[in-house]
Amino acid sequence: MDNIAGTKSSLSWAVNISVVLLVVIWLIPTVGLLVSSFRDRDQISATGWWLSPFPVSQNYQAKAPSDDAKAEGGVNVITGNVFEDGKGKVTRFGGKRAAPTEFKAGEIAQLTKDRTLTVQSDGSYVYTSPAEIKRDPSIYYAASSPPDFSLDNYRTIMASDNMDRAFINTLTVTIPATIIPILIAAFAAYALAWMDFRGRGFLIALVVGLLVVPLQLALVPLLTLHNKVGIGQSFLGIWMAHTGFGLPLAIYLLRNYMVGLPRDIIESAKVDGATDFQVFTKIVLPLSFPALASFAIFQFLWTWNDLLVAKVFLPSNSESWVMTVKIADDLLGSKGGDWGILAAAAFISIAVPLIVFFTMQRYLVRGLLAGSVK
Amino acid sequence: MKLSLYTSAAIIALSSSSAFADGHLAYGTEGGDFSWDSYNAFAEATDLSGQSLTITGAWTGNEKEKVEKVFAYFNAATGADVTYSGSDSFEQDIVVSARSGSAPNLAAFPQPGLAADMASQGLLTPLADGTADWVANNFAAGQSWVDLGTYADKDGADQMYGFFYRVDVKSLVWYSPEAFDEGGYDIPESMEDLKALTDQIVEDGGTPWCIGLGSGAATGWPATDWVEDMMLRTTSPEDYDAWVANEMKFDDPKVIAAIEEFGAFARNDAYVDGGAAAVASTDFRDSPAGLFAIPPKCYMHRQASFIPAFFPEGTAMGEDVDFFYFPAFASKDLGKPVLGAGALFAITNPSDAANAFIEFMKLPIAHELWMTQGGFLTAHAGVNLATYADDSSRAQGEILQNATTFRFDASDLMPGEIGAGAFWTGMVDYVTGTPAADVAKGIQDRWDAIQ
Repeated sequence: MDNIAGTKSSLSWAVNISVVLLVVIWLIPTVGLLVSSFRDRDQISATGWWLSPFPVSQNYQAKAPSDDAKAEGGVNVITGNVFEDGKGKVTRFGGKRAAPTEFKAGEIAQLTKDRTLTVQSDGSYVYTSPAEIKRDPSIYYAASSPPDFSLDNYRTIMASDNMDRAFINTLTVTIPATIIPILIAAFAAYALAWMDFRGRGFLIALVVGLLVVPLQLALVPLLTLHNKVGIGQSFLGIWMAHTGFGLPLAIYLLRNYMVGLPRDIIESAKVDGATDFQVFTKIVLPLSFPALASFAIFQFLWTWNDLLVAKVFLPSNSESWVMTVKIADDLLGSKGGDWGILAAAAFISIAVPLIVFFTMQRYLVRGLLAGSVK
Repeated sequence: MKLSLYTSAAIIALSSSSAFADGHLAYGTEGGDFSWDSYNAFAEATDLSGQSLTITGAWTGNEKEKVEKVFAYFNAATGADVTYSGSDSFEQDIVVSARSGSAPNLAAFPQPGLAADMASQGLLTPLADGTADWVANNFAAGQSWVDLGTYADKDGADQMYGFFYRVDVKSLVWYSPEAFDEGGYDIPESMEDLKALTDQIVEDGGTPWCIGLGSGAATGWPATDWVEDMMLRTTSPEDYDAWVANEMKFDDPKVIAAIEEFGAFARNDAYVDGGAAAVASTDFRDSPAGLFAIPPKCYMHRQASFIPAFFPEGTAMGEDVDFFYFPAFASKDLGKPVLGAGALFAITNPSDAANAFIEFMKLPIAHELWMTQGGFLTAHAGVNLATYADDSSRAQGEILQNATTFRFDASDLMPGEIGAGAFWTGMVDYVTGTPAADVAKGIQDRWDAIQ
């Protein structure tokens, strides 16, 4: 017991280093995603994101236009520059695809059939052929390209049709789907925590049991029910679905918190003549704020990120797409090949939850602890 | 809370307006190489003003844009509002919505296996009488398309449910003409030539093939195409059909031989870019990139006609990349077999507009409108081939129409558990070193277990 509060453990540096290490390891995928969001699909499949900050020597192909060929001293000559804008530095070049870096810049390359090719380091080239040049000859060269990042992915996403609509739809789904379960669960949790009635223990066990039922099981029966009662696929339907799927966790979390409130306060209020409703609104609800907030964060994040429930309970036309559906079904392209878009979309859709999380995170920790240590 | 209720009410109100209210016709109403006569006659005879038609399918992104241009013409001809929604997880979504009674009118199934499943559960509505005869007479190799669209209903009676629309040819090898030119390689006319060419490229210091099997949860499917193509090239079409129906066991020596033919390419470190170990881990979308690398990482890539969607931006067809028919063995007399796959329309929620849409699909112009946008092949024999967007699609269309044997992708026809499960994972096991006989035995055991 020599490392009680006030004295510093001699091993605290080890703790600090391991914490930093863990955080770094934990962050690697996110950083990778962030870097990838600034690169296009071809870049992503060419090199890993960790190589992207460095200039890379890449091989390129340029075509010498055969229309520009002039006859000079018995040979046909094409001159030009491999760089369209005249900027760049060629290190090596070649006349064959299989050997694109055979020659140093400035050397004269002897190609097949007495053709020659010279590429200077500034990109200017001279191609000669004794025979008539019919097809555009290919020039291969290696040039070092600077790191290339662009905001194109973000532009594509922000400029795509109906993105604003999708954003509003997501909010339309998320906000009621967060508030409704909290309202219901707070009442239920109070009843299960402080009101005495028969079967209370059984009800609590039932709610805990519902926590382990996967929501996927309920998709088809629930949608069938919605269709029968006339709700169909609509925003009302998805609010109800999210409410139902969120309730077990909400009730469980809030009840555990409320049960831990001091019995004295509630009993003395009752002695003073307060009804259950007054106890709930005047005492329990204000005291449970951290737990309410922590559940609100959970539910908000889950409904914000949800794809499955939205696809099942909302109409499938593009006017009712939420952001996740919009990204998966519209922006990712046929067969989902656009990784860069996916990465950028992840960062755009992460923005709102991040704001919510950072403004409310102190409640998250408090609420969780309060619920769990009881 | 109140505010959000108002917002959502506004959104619901807005969403009822049609997606095609301002849909303009991309190719005018006359001229070009399109078959206008039958279209105008159809437009004259059909009036569905005020009706709406909902369609879902697996076409998303730019394929969605293309197909919506076709739907715009249906809208113009009949006055029916068409709402199309593409889904990345179509296979799951359609089952959920059909079972819970909120299915759209029509669904474009990317493969017949799922449609057959849903037909047997009574979730599909048969096409109008006479459609089967029409397809048999008007599609190239018509009867085979009728058979592929005919499934047992709830009571076990065969009915025609599927109308094939977009077809993919799978027996294609993609290559860079420039790289072939430089190496002095010729397009192989037979499988023997192809194997000789493969060895020749290795001898010249190159790597002949790019093969990638990665595809998320569906990892392994590109290998099933290889094996199916090899089946068609080593045994008769009748054996192939028996294999699909499991009348010929999966661990039959003929099937094992076909798997090993594939292994001859994929399990040889010198033949494949990155070595055999890279085959299973390379994503199929990234695998063709090796063709375009400088110097080339590989010279050939066997993949279906849809793969150009994954070529690097700005790739010119016929110039930077071209294809040849995956050839058959000259020593075996099996003709020119072609492996393919295709998407089909089926009615999930019957209405007049849905039936009229199938009628519209019979018109050549319904096919020509997508042909002209590229990335589309059709088996419809009445279309004007001049509307194909480029020579390479035209050539693929000709391969399809001239096939002596056309067989559908076996894994799409086998039960889901096998064709979209055991077969895929078995192929991954095979390329990572498990012997072909063990893999085939394992798949057959799974098949026995579900029967």
